[in-house]
Amino acid sequence: MATAMRAAPAALRPGGRSAAVAAGAGRRLAAAVAVMLGAATVAFAALQLVPGNPVQILLGMNTTASPAVQARIRAQYGFDRPVAIQYLRYLDNLVHGDLGQSYQLQRPVSQLISTQLGPTLQLVGAALLVAVVLAVVSAVATAGRWPVLRAVATFFELVAVSSPSYWVGIVLLTVFSFTFHLFPVAGAQNLASLVLPAVTLGLPVAGVLGQVLREGLEAALDQPFVPTARARGVSQTGVRLRHAFRHAAVPLVTLTGWLTGSLLGGAVLVENVFGRPGIGSLTLQAVTNKDMPLVIGLVLLSAFAFVLLSTVVDLLYLVIDPRLRTG
Amino acid sequence: MRLSRHVRPLTAAATAAVFVLTACGAQGGTATSSSTPVAGGSLTYAANTEPTCFDAHISTQDITGEIDRNVVDSLVSEDSDGAFHPWLATSWDVSADLKSYTFHLRTGVTFTDGTVFDAAAVKANFDSIVDPATKSQYAASLLGPDYSGTKVVDAGTVQVTFSQPFAPFLQAAGTAYLGFYSPKALAASKNNLCAGGKASVGTGPFVFTSYTKGQSAVFTKNPDYNWGPATAKHTGAAYLDQVTFRFLPDSSTRVGTLSSGESDVVRAVPAAQVKGLKAQSNVEVQTLSQPGGVYNLWLNTTVAPLNDQRVREAVQRGIDVTTDVNSVYFGVYQRAWSPISPTTPSYDASLVGSWPYDPTLSGTLLDQAGWTGRDADGYRTKDGKTLSIEWPLLPAEYVTDQRDTLGQAIQADLKKIGVKITRPQYDIGTYLTKAYGGQEGILDSSWSRDEPDVLWLFYNSASISAGGQNATFLKDPELDKLTNAGRATLDTATRDQDYAQVQQRVIDLATTVPIYNPLTVVGVSKSVQGLTFDPNDWALFYGAWVSR
Repeated sequence: MATAMRAAPAALRPGGRSAAVAAGAGRRLAAAVAVMLGAATVAFAALQLVPGNPVQILLGMNTTASPAVQARIRAQYGFDRPVAIQYLRYLDNLVHGDLGQSYQLQRPVSQLISTQLGPTLQLVGAALLVAVVLAVVSAVATAGRWPVLRAVATFFELVAVSSPSYWVGIVLLTVFSFTFHLFPVAGAQNLASLVLPAVTLGLPVAGVLGQVLREGLEAALDQPFVPTARARGVSQTGVRLRHAFRHAAVPLVTLTGWLTGSLLGGAVLVENVFGRPGIGSLTLQAVTNKDMPLVIGLVLLSAFAFVLLSTVVDLLYLVIDPRLRTG
Repeated sequence: MRLSRHVRPLTAAATAAVFVLTACGAQGGTATSSSTPVAGGSLTYAANTEPTCFDAHISTQDITGEIDRNVVDSLVSEDSDGAFHPWLATSWDVSADLKSYTFHLRTGVTFTDGTVFDAAAVKANFDSIVDPATKSQYAASLLGPDYSGTKVVDAGTVQVTFSQPFAPFLQAAGTAYLGFYSPKALAASKNNLCAGGKASVGTGPFVFTSYTKGQSAVFTKNPDYNWGPATAKHTGAAYLDQVTFRFLPDSSTRVGTLSSGESDVVRAVPAAQVKGLKAQSNVEVQTLSQPGGVYNLWLNTTVAPLNDQRVREAVQRGIDVTTDVNSVYFGVYQRAWSPISPTTPSYDASLVGSWPYDPTLSGTLLDQAGWTGRDADGYRTKDGKTLSIEWPLLPAEYVTDQRDTLGQAIQADLKKIGVKITRPQYDIGTYLTKAYGGQEGILDSSWSRDEPDVLWLFYNSASISAGGQNATFLKDPELDKLTNAGRATLDTATRDQDYAQVQQRVIDLATTVPIYNPLTVVGVSKSVQGLTFDPNDWALFYGAWVSR
């Protein structure tokens, strides 16, 4: 991604930070539309390949729906039409900004997504904050010094990476909610209810980021510019924060972008354990029930999220690393 | 606290320690058992499932019925003995041929949007339920296949007619699925009542205030309510100002909210957590036996090798049901002997002990059926073919009550008599296609309803078609006759006799292996008083109050 940015004409102007950023964003938005259309098509095709009668799946097991009702559903959702017609009809609606109606929940997809998106964004945002803060503090403090503390930090990072979030969630609940009553057990009603889910979701990410950042920092601290900076009278911590950290931050940003995507996926487990509303549980429900309009709506949303994330990451490179701006 | 019915002391000794609950220890809060109801306060109920659709006329989910009960009232109210009492109908006449039901409606009843409840409102609701455009998945079937229509006789009188005698109608009319929404709400938001919230307008003791998908549904008191069912202990408005349903699919979290005080009542406490919860001083655990179909294994009579009655009987007698159920559910759940549970009307208690575990008999039966050879794994063979039966596993998200673990115990039992059970796990689409298509050897399910007419659903040949629930795929004239006869009479003695014959016949034909009686296990904070349960084991909040 970074190489593509370097080739952008606006980026050739020396020091043109804002121009480079604008050009990059424009290109990205254009590409986003194509990516999302492709994603919708792939999702549509994938759902066609899922076996089973959509009406049966929609009705589930404990139903006594009469054949007349089943025929009605089939006709209303166009299951009786050829797949190509269904696809075209779907695209037509999409172009008109209509994501359609969920088969299972019988509510507009756009409404379902918009009401469920907020809590998930809060959760992912808070988890990311937890992850980055923990990783930066742990790595900056222990990189290349204090061997015992460094070993302890590394150990906890490993534990954090390898613990399943379901388990972490239950343990946190047991300690902080059931026993000490510090945080509510479930829900998304206030800030206190966000703490435990955010920590649960953020911990494994903090582990990965901490390890990567520490390694980057330690490599940077071996560079010749470090003794030079020290010779100019910059303090040990100053070197770490102002000079070494910048070097180590590029892989950190790449990884954070990628991990944010995985946070969206990981949210489903955490939402389940903590009884939070959100996109995760909605997605699980939609896929399980082969709820085509909702699945495609959610695929479009995640495609958009990934395009947005990679754009933000690329733009952050330009901010962090001046070499990319001048080409 | 007293319960209306089915309350059974838990004698079980759970063996597994539950870390979540043992960590909680004893907390304060001695329950003040005040017997005078206190108005005001709020109650939070933690449920394990969430409605996909809040429209009781459409949905088939139990949770929808339980939640909507707060918003919609019914014509009649069924008590714990299966007798019917006035509610929105003050009296009713049933024609001798059971084809016509005339209801005399209560006056002065209004929906919470101000609309008057009258005969036209009843007609509007029933007409809407049977309209294919409503896409009713359950309520329409409660009106039966022979529903002719609803006629407004005058504002206070309404007549419902059927082309065939239909005895189960009164029971159906008492369920929330045939409850009444304001005709204005029906017209304004056709098919949008699914979304819940303020659009759901009924005459009930509570008003549907708000819904946050994935989190909660909130109900506030209807202050004008003065038409509670005759089965209730008080009249006038509900005591509670607010009832909140929390949706918590994870059982540890759900039970944890009771310990932390975030909820007052918790539904679906797993058998393994019962002991830990009972150890808490401020919580009471109640178990209620669910009426309707127990957890049954259905043996498909149309596919080999189960089309041979001897093989079916061998399977039925070759499963050590008592031991399996006790070990998987820590003695909390009881094994079943009949396809319907003991709390269902017309349950035949004579079946108890009538088909005990008898692997020797199973062996003899299989020998007689010609399955005398053995393959390398010890399974029986006939003409070089292994005695193998497919019993598909439901996709994980549909598995409840650890039925997958129970299935492993059953599989192991049958291996001992040389029967190989394969349990492929399909996606739900493939599962349903194969199940409804009659391609599977064994299927399993339970079906909650306080009416022996569920036997019609399970065994009548008319229930084999698409959307039917007859998984034995047996077209038996005798069972058709008996299940139709039960529908055609209100005489309890006759029904008992007909339905007893059905229960015995399906065990004799070995089309069914009843496994366990489903239980509703509810954890209730001791501050909650007056909470009752309807015949479906759904919590009723109208008479509940909190003392704290």
